Amino acid sequence: MDALELTRRGDELAKAGQHAAALDLYVRAAKAVETPAGELCLKIARAAQRVGKRTEAFAWLARVADVSRSFLDWSGAAALLTKLEVSGRPSARRSTRVALIGSYTTAQLGSMLRVAGLAEGIDIVLFEGGYGQYRQEIIDPDSAIYRFAPDFVVIAVHHGALELPTLSESPEEVLAAETARWQRLWQVLAERSGARVIQHNFAIPPEVPLGHLAARVSGSRYAMMQELNIRLGAAASDAVLIVDCERLASTFGKGAWFDSRYWNAAKQAVALDALPMLARHTVSVMAAALGLNRKCLVLDLDNTLWGGVVGEDGLSGIALGQGTPAAEAFVAFQDYILQLNEKGIILAVASKNNEADARAVFEHHPEMRIRLADLAAFFCNWDDKATNLRRIAEQLNLGLDALTVADDNPAERALVRAMLPEVDVIPLPEDPSGYVRALSDYLRFETAALTTEDRTRTQQYRMRSAASALAASAEGIEDFYRSLEMEARIAPFDEFHLPRIAQLINKTNQFNLTTRRYTPEELRALMRDPTVIHRYLKLRDRFGDHGLVSVLIARRAGTNLDIETWLMSCRVISRTVDAEMLAHLSELARQKGVDTIRGTYIPSARNAIVSEIYGKYGFVRVGSHDGATSWEYDLAGQGPIRNGFIANWSESDDAA
Amino acid sequence: MTLHDRVQDIVRTLFGDEEIVLDGSTVPADVPGWDSLAQVNVIFAVEEAFGIELGGDELSRFTTIGELESRIAAKLSEQGRDREAAT
Repeated sequence: MDALELTRRGDELAKAGQHAAALDLYVRAAKAVETPAGELCLKIARAAQRVGKRTEAFAWLARVADVSRSFLDWSGAAALLTKLEVSGRPSARRSTRVALIGSYTTAQLGSMLRVAGLAEGIDIVLFEGGYGQYRQEIIDPDSAIYRFAPDFVVIAVHHGALELPTLSESPEEVLAAETARWQRLWQVLAERSGARVIQHNFAIPPEVPLGHLAARVSGSRYAMMQELNIRLGAAASDAVLIVDCERLASTFGKGAWFDSRYWNAAKQAVALDALPMLARHTVSVMAAALGLNRKCLVLDLDNTLWGGVVGEDGLSGIALGQGTPAAEAFVAFQDYILQLNEKGIILAVASKNNEADARAVFEHHPEMRIRLADLAAFFCNWDDKATNLRRIAEQLNLGLDALTVADDNPAERALVRAMLPEVDVIPLPEDPSGYVRALSDYLRFETAALTTEDRTRTQQYRMRSAASALAASAEGIEDFYRSLEMEARIAPFDEFHLPRIAQLINKTNQFNLTTRRYTPEELRALMRDPTVIHRYLKLRDRFGDHGLVSVLIARRAGTNLDIETWLMSCRVISRTVDAEMLAHLSELARQKGVDTIRGTYIPSARNAIVSEIYGKYGFVRVGSHDGATSWEYDLAGQGPIRNGFIANWSESDDAA
Repeated sequence: MTLHDRVQDIVRTLFGDEEIVLDGSTVPADVPGWDSLAQVNVIFAVEEAFGIELGGDELSRFTTIGELESRIAAKLSEQGRDREAAT
């Protein structure tokens, strides 16, 4: 039976009230194809709900968001989600409180944000502001959004909310005033709630009375809207994220994005069928800020990075470069991948090939864009893909849920989905000319900020790989530590390092004792509090500069010091950086007259690695509650913790 | 599937309620939760599903399901004629 026939029979069973049997047929129909229709996923979710399989129902609802862009499918998913939530929230990677305020009817967008959130593992608790009330909601200190205490405030506005004249003789002043107006709103929000803002920028409508003249008159409303979008982006602080609606509307087609029938009748500023797209993009920006997006792109080689099979066609026989449309498409794909790498996406290769054949292409093919130096991990052998993906995750110290695979072969993709459901898979189209678009439509590489660390991340992961190789050869672990020639700079937080500190705090999952997240505003408040000790740690060694890799926040209470937050990038695990941080803290605490340092471990899905870390450094376990454990270090009795493997990175070197 | 069944399916999906039964004389007030916002959703979903564009005043006019269905049918045959004329 094919998928259509299975679905049809499932429908009959569902109609007859036999939901368990219908569910079975629907799932078989969905598994018969690589990308099942949204309608089918919705039927599965509905049948699962009827027979009480809630986890399955949530999972298939999430799938609707992945495969469908239809308003009806998404609305159906939202309705079912509401129904399911009556008996409990979905289990999610993160739960977050989102206030949605706007200048148009945003009820449908709100529903769809919840559906898009589900697909990213974000359980969104939503608050919707009154229709068109975005300003009042922000300005009024007693407004309901502040009582709601959101983590994010989505400002969904359209061009009608802009205070720009149709034609201005002094566009500079008008633009400065309008930019300042939005900045003030962001600032008020940040001060009153500490929430991060997700600002929709302004889609410019296609009706332009001035015609092409508008493009050369800087005081035209059309030109000012373009300029304003740029200024808002530049003015956005680290607590403000932008969703580029102008780009989305262009991509969607402005004629369709703006549907005046729906504006006139129902004050819908964005066409209803564009809302799934808008919701997906808004949530992808949110996921980036929460550190939930993917970190590593794992590439196949034959027919993915080049055309043909290098093992059979030979170095000169593969299609790459000029000559055929396919050969050019592969070059374009590689160029796009390198740009992802530049913004911090780590690249790796997992491919069934003779390693020597594969390496030769990277080293000797003149048209190759991606080079071995761009790759943080390289596994070419005849083992199955799942095994190689596990090796990549292990070598790079990433969770499997940080990996995304790009592979032209549907069978390999199916294998990955079946064996390693945590790994995400991009379904590349058959024609390589569509590869770039498939990758650009993939939203899980959205990133919240560009830091120096992002740009040099591959290099750092390579250094880590090199250091691992050294570990194997070094005689003893202590010799290994010494051979790294590590130097650390530990210092209080400052404004300059704040973006990286916030980024590290919000995306570190494994070496993270309490998994507390802080907004930049909350961090600034801590910096002003004299009872709080806040330190970052930067590390370099003979392989290079690792940048800012660890953060600790502790609070003094009398002669006690409580460690509220302690986390470290997994790139520098197992090289005494943790000991160095504690050594610094305990020495500082001693100087301040602290007797006891207290630490807490709060378990999460990812941080088992540090469950016993305090014990390792002489802390004594004094209590446990719901899996969380508390620890005390007798500083008065035992003296400061020591670490002899990391030298001080002195201030004077910094100018270099 | 008849046109009526498709319309009924759309309404059931939007409201998340498989028990909803519509007939020609059903008006929005008969269906719990069918307010002006839901009306917009229904009309849009119908447009999306049938690939037609209904008039702007359809969005706010509350009529019977039977009337809505005959307007859909009229639009569909109009489009059919347009297609024939174009070929």
